[in-house]
Amino acid sequence: MRTSFVRLILLIFFGAILLRLLYWQTFRGEELIALAENQHFEDQTIPAFRGSIFFSDNSVLASSQPNFILYGMPKVINQDERSKMTITLAKILWTEKFSKDLKEADEKEEIDKIRLDLNNKLTQDLYWVALAKDIDQGLKKKIEELHFNGLGFEETSKRFYPEGSSSAHLLGFVGSDSKGQSTGYFGLEGFYNGELRGLPGQIKREKDAFGLPILIGNFLSRGERNGKSLRLSIDRTVQYIVEDNLKKGIEKYGAKAASAVVMDPKTGNILALASFPNYDPAKFALFPKEFYKNPIVADHYEPGSTFKVLVMAAAINEDVVEDNTRCDICNGPLALGGFNIKTWNNKYYPDSTMTDVIVHSDNTGMVFVAKKLGLDNFYSYLKKFGFGDLTNIDLQDESAQDLRDKSEWREIDLATASFGQGIAVTPIQMVSAISAIANGGFLMEPHIVSEIRNEDSTFKVKPKIIRRVLNERAAKVVTEMMVKAVEDGESKYLKTKGFKIAGKTGTAQIPVAGHYDPNKTIASFVGFAPADDPKFVMLVRYDQPTSSTFGSETAAPTFFEIAKQLFPYFKIAPVH
Amino acid sequence: MTIIHKFEPEQKDKSSNLGKNKITFSLGLLIFILILAQIWVSHTVVNYGDKLKNIESLKKAYVSENQVLENEIAVNSSLSYIASQSASLGLNVAKDVKYIR
Repeated sequence: MRTSFVRLILLIFFGAILLRLLYWQTFRGEELIALAENQHFEDQTIPAFRGSIFFSDNSVLASSQPNFILYGMPKVINQDERSKMTITLAKILWTEKFSKDLKEADEKEEIDKIRLDLNNKLTQDLYWVALAKDIDQGLKKKIEELHFNGLGFEETSKRFYPEGSSSAHLLGFVGSDSKGQSTGYFGLEGFYNGELRGLPGQIKREKDAFGLPILIGNFLSRGERNGKSLRLSIDRTVQYIVEDNLKKGIEKYGAKAASAVVMDPKTGNILALASFPNYDPAKFALFPKEFYKNPIVADHYEPGSTFKVLVMAAAINEDVVEDNTRCDICNGPLALGGFNIKTWNNKYYPDSTMTDVIVHSDNTGMVFVAKKLGLDNFYSYLKKFGFGDLTNIDLQDESAQDLRDKSEWREIDLATASFGQGIAVTPIQMVSAISAIANGGFLMEPHIVSEIRNEDSTFKVKPKIIRRVLNERAAKVVTEMMVKAVEDGESKYLKTKGFKIAGKTGTAQIPVAGHYDPNKTIASFVGFAPADDPKFVMLVRYDQPTSSTFGSETAAPTFFEIAKQLFPYFKIAPVH
Repeated sequence: MTIIHKFEPEQKDKSSNLGKNKITFSLGLLIFILILAQIWVSHTVVNYGDKLKNIESLKKAYVSENQVLENEIAVNSSLSYIASQSASLGLNVAKDVKYIR
């Protein structure tokens, strides 16, 4: 009886143990495994570096700089330590990060603000709190030398631009998205964000009681994949020359804005792209948001007389006019649809040839050409030259103004469009279209990136022909007209001597509230050189220059000044 | 009493006994050696976690320093820096280029 009783007790006892084991192993098993993993394993994220961006000569345009977040562990820091720490840190952070130009009283006030902010953060009931961001290597060393308990650094990276604010519109900038992840906006950083971003790696390994890794313990890893790098077609020297001259020009001519783009007409490679006002991509938040947009791909403007060469090229291609065809309506202003069409200087040349029309930039001559071409052909060539469509340049913020439907065009619209008013284009569309004249008739797709580099492979971007717009003869004839326009036109006294340059000035009035303001113009010059075998096509544009409203007196001199510096750089010898 | 069967202990095969003992002894010795080896490896390797952590920190620091130095080189070789240094050395932009045929 007693043995049976003892047996029963033992049975119940072991049964209870078994049930308890069942409970812990089965019902709470996963939770306990997770807790144990947490204690025994450490998870480490290996950050991936954002890919770098290089000029065509492999010099750095954008790279990553190691950066740190200073964090504190409030539960580890006692009150005395905290007081001393916040005073010292506030002084250091102020000295390193902020301007030294403030008066002493203001400086004390600012340091006190930082100290209070640090104190508030360190008094929170948290294990970890971020105290300061954007700590560079030097500052990190200074803080580490203070040997404060309860402080640490978390490594991040920051975008670094060794050329400063140069090429800002080209690059765009890197900010944070809604999840706090680094994301590129505008320009190349935005367009190629996926390629540049990379993928962080992960290490999961067993650790001992001191938090040190156990060499023979479990180890799982997924290596980080650094972002791909981009090598651009942008030539560093050409970019510098263009920016330098544009900066000088915007001051000299009192313009509101200025932009220039240089392209290789045979490949579509963009050699330089610059606009002002610009911003510093490393400190983009300090600049107005209007500055972020790249005017060369996103700004629509009426091209004015620079458009005439395209209309002329279309007409010659269609054999409706030749270079020696005479204009029989060029003896005075033209009355059309209730409007009077005049020349820019009120001078008229009866019986001018088509070459004369381009040289004199004769609006009435262009109306003659447009009438010969007809609306259907005119509209079709607008499309062929790429107007109304995106050029597909590899920059994030490109936009294109839709062409009005052909059925909505009146006679006056055809007339004004023939001399580049009443039609909106972007500078990149304009320079791509002119390149078709320069390279014998092909519309090339413009691009900035020439190579995308991985750790183990390189992808080369090949030139892309979109379509043939003109035959070789038409391209040659219009080229000669443009050479004559430079040699005998309004800018003949400014041109670079000894070189055969094809070009056209443009002075377009800006539409304001339904009418054109005569005092506000977009002054531009587009051209290519050497005319017989062009190495570059360039467009220079000033927005509302005040010293003179004309392209021949503002954009043309800048064009020639840049070209003068490009000729020896490209080893182009003068022809005479 | 009638003796049916005289109980005599069986004569064991001495040679097979010896063989089995040898195997057991060897196995036991092997296990013992393996245990000692495992203790020695664990004891030795347990300090390597610290060394590994140090090497990793050092590697991170060198990679960071490398990147910082590369960026410094990029700044010092930027055209705007070269232009300003050239100007401070008294060098000027060539205003005219003479071509010799």
